[in-house]
Amino acid sequence: MQLSPTRPATALRLRLRAAAAALLAAGAVNAARAETPAARWQFDATGLGYVERSRTVVIEPVARITRLFESGQSLWLQTTLDAMTGASPTGAQPSGRVQTVTSASGTVSTSTANQVPTAPFHDFRGALDLGGVQPLGGIASIAASGHYSREKDYTSRGGTGQFSLDLDRHLITVTVGGSLYRDTVTPVGGIRVPLSDGTSFLPEGALPRRTSEGSAGISRVLSRRWMVSLNGSRTHEEGYLTEPYKIVSLIEGDGTPSPDSLLTEGRPGTRNRNALMASSVYHLTDDVLYASYRYYWDDWGVRSHTLDLKYHEELPLHDYLVPHLRLYTQTRADFFVFGLPQGGAVPRYATSDLRLGPLHSVTLGLTYGFTLPDHPGEFTIRGEYIHQWGDGHPASAIGVQQQLDLFPGEDVYTVTGGYTLRF
Amino acid sequence: MIVRVRPLALLAILAAALLGGCAATSVKPWDRDLLAQKRMSFDPRPMESAIDEHIYFSKEGSTGGATAGGGGCGCN
Amino acid sequence: MSERAGEDPIRIERTGDLFAARFTAMASPCEVLLDTDVRAEAFALAGRARREALRIERKFSRYRTDSVVGRIHAARGRPVSVDDETAALLDLAALCHQLSQGRFDITSGVLRRAWVFDGGEHVPSPERIAEALVHVGWDKASWRRPVFTLPEGMEIDFGGLGKEYAVDGAAALLAAASRRAFLVNFGGDLFASGPRRDGEPWAVGVDDPEATGERVLYRVDLARGGLATSGDARRFVRWQGRRLGHLLDPRTGWPVEDAPRSVSVLAPTCLEAGMLSTLACLHGPGAAAFLEAQGAEYRIA
Repeated sequence: MQLSPTRPATALRLRLRAAAAALLAAGAVNAARAETPAARWQFDATGLGYVERSRTVVIEPVARITRLFESGQSLWLQTTLDAMTGASPTGAQPSGRVQTVTSASGTVSTSTANQVPTAPFHDFRGALDLGGVQPLGGIASIAASGHYSREKDYTSRGGTGQFSLDLDRHLITVTVGGSLYRDTVTPVGGIRVPLSDGTSFLPEGALPRRTSEGSAGISRVLSRRWMVSLNGSRTHEEGYLTEPYKIVSLIEGDGTPSPDSLLTEGRPGTRNRNALMASSVYHLTDDVLYASYRYYWDDWGVRSHTLDLKYHEELPLHDYLVPHLRLYTQTRADFFVFGLPQGGAVPRYATSDLRLGPLHSVTLGLTYGFTLPDHPGEFTIRGEYIHQWGDGHPASAIGVQQQLDLFPGEDVYTVTGGYTLRF
Repeated sequence: MIVRVRPLALLAILAAALLGGCAATSVKPWDRDLLAQKRMSFDPRPMESAIDEHIYFSKEGSTGGATAGGGGCGCN
Repeated sequence: MSERAGEDPIRIERTGDLFAARFTAMASPCEVLLDTDVRAEAFALAGRARREALRIERKFSRYRTDSVVGRIHAARGRPVSVDDETAALLDLAALCHQLSQGRFDITSGVLRRAWVFDGGEHVPSPERIAEALVHVGWDKASWRRPVFTLPEGMEIDFGGLGKEYAVDGAAALLAAASRRAFLVNFGGDLFASGPRRDGEPWAVGVDDPEATGERVLYRVDLARGGLATSGDARRFVRWQGRRLGHLLDPRTGWPVEDAPRSVSVLAPTCLEAGMLSTLACLHGPGAAAFLEAQGAEYRIA
């Protein structure tokens, strides 16, 4: 086939040629105007407002700046601030009487009868993260990041790395990653000897906690509308894994916690965690359905199931609504107890920390994404409600404990705002 | 209620299926229109997800599953 | 996976004495071949071509609510004032409608919902077709530059023109920016600006439509011009022993009978080549005769 210049064009072709030329001329103006450089920066900000009914309030702003390069590389820097105030459960069991607990920071708190005793806290945390992404050969990429954070009694330092490879014309992606953290726990007032009466302290004022994690995942585009992924991770923690301020109540014969004596909690020095997660993203006519399920198990006896569902509803003018439902249930850690009998044998490990207890939680949320006229940024605003509860009437309840709810429900309300701007 | 299955065996089967199986429906280049949209992503709002991970890490006993973790805090 | 499934950033590599840039745009694999030794120049030119492709895609995509098409659909029957570029595109669509006696119709997309071209035997009922045809017909829309009014329930789709326009638009930008020879190829619709430095033309293979990416039907040595391919091979339905392709005739609501499996046309621009090949396909068995009458350079498979 060759273009032959000698054949005269037919009338039809001349008309087509003229219309095409007019289109190109009109488009050239817009093309020239659009030749401003591609976005080189991206700014993301998120702010969390978190309130637990009757307990904790947290404000957490996060800001990230990313430098984008033509080749697909990027570098980013992120700062996080966390201001926390409120009261957290000490691990002491509720009783029919008023209880007084002295916390490790020297403050004294009093709880009303029949309520789970709490101790006030007040903390501020700052974190700095730095990272980058480097594409390789158009089908792979590596990413790495470093982290440093600090709060009154806890310092965390570490990094992550990730490698991903696209197969079958970008329809399959395989990812492997890992992270290493070396944290230092420095409880206020010193570290009380675990599973003791709380009057003696370890010689060290600070103890390390090391975490290493490996993960791998495969994601695949199954059809024009549907992509799925499977991910697994394994984490090994070792070091000082105990909560330094929490206690275990010693329960007297009638089921009331002993007013004079307590036991500091103690957890094992290692923990191996595993998680398997399957996700699906399915595009309907305009909307998208997200579903994921995660199964978790560790060698402390905790096993959990998490089901997360989101529905992205596309609205006119680029806005959207995403209702969200999350269902969670976990079994208790092997060494979780609602108090130990006064005078009985002290086990090797024990905790009354409700977060390691048999608990369930439901989250209901709604995100609204929107843009403002004449402004290139994108906004999101999200409200979520989390209800967490557990079995507060275990078979092992003694005496008075049987009349009390040892694991009352908790309600959490969060508001999250987000903003993204490319320039 | 919790099913006792050998997790690693299940993982190996699912991974093999994802990598190899169902090759019949290959997605043609002209069918990538929907996939190119911003909302066709496993995590369209990553900073919001990171905050959620932090919340659930401090309220529950589980972690992990999605990506290699980011940052410790004294809350679990 | 890259942040979004199916999206990849621009990849540039040296093949022989050319630079080849590849990316995805308009749901198609795109390629720009540049006859230059200078890497920085290749990066800059490839970036321009890609940005123009994405600009046109975003502006005229029927999947985006912020595109011109999205705005027109959201207007739900109210008049919409369009800019010069959109006006010129609508003029071109109107011209093709006239030149094809109504077979080319950018409002015919709604018909797509009535048909399922999965190789099976299912054919929509006459009632279903009639129902869909209520919302089809360029004559039902009102185009009086610069105001376009599309009745509620109707939809427009520039898919038949968009890629060829993007090829010519990107080619215009490259020609203005550099004297190097180049080949722009967006999903099989392409344009070559001239012979390479060594005097040789560009070697282009046209795919067997039954085995895209795997088997080449024939090769074309293209020094200058646009090459566009249209065809009816990929999706079909069986009915009364016949094979009905997916190219629909908006006048009847039924597939065009005996449209060619693959038609490639060579013309001075990709737009002209694309419109000729599309019009030819719409003529069904008369494709070859139409192209002969227009004095076009073509191949039919």
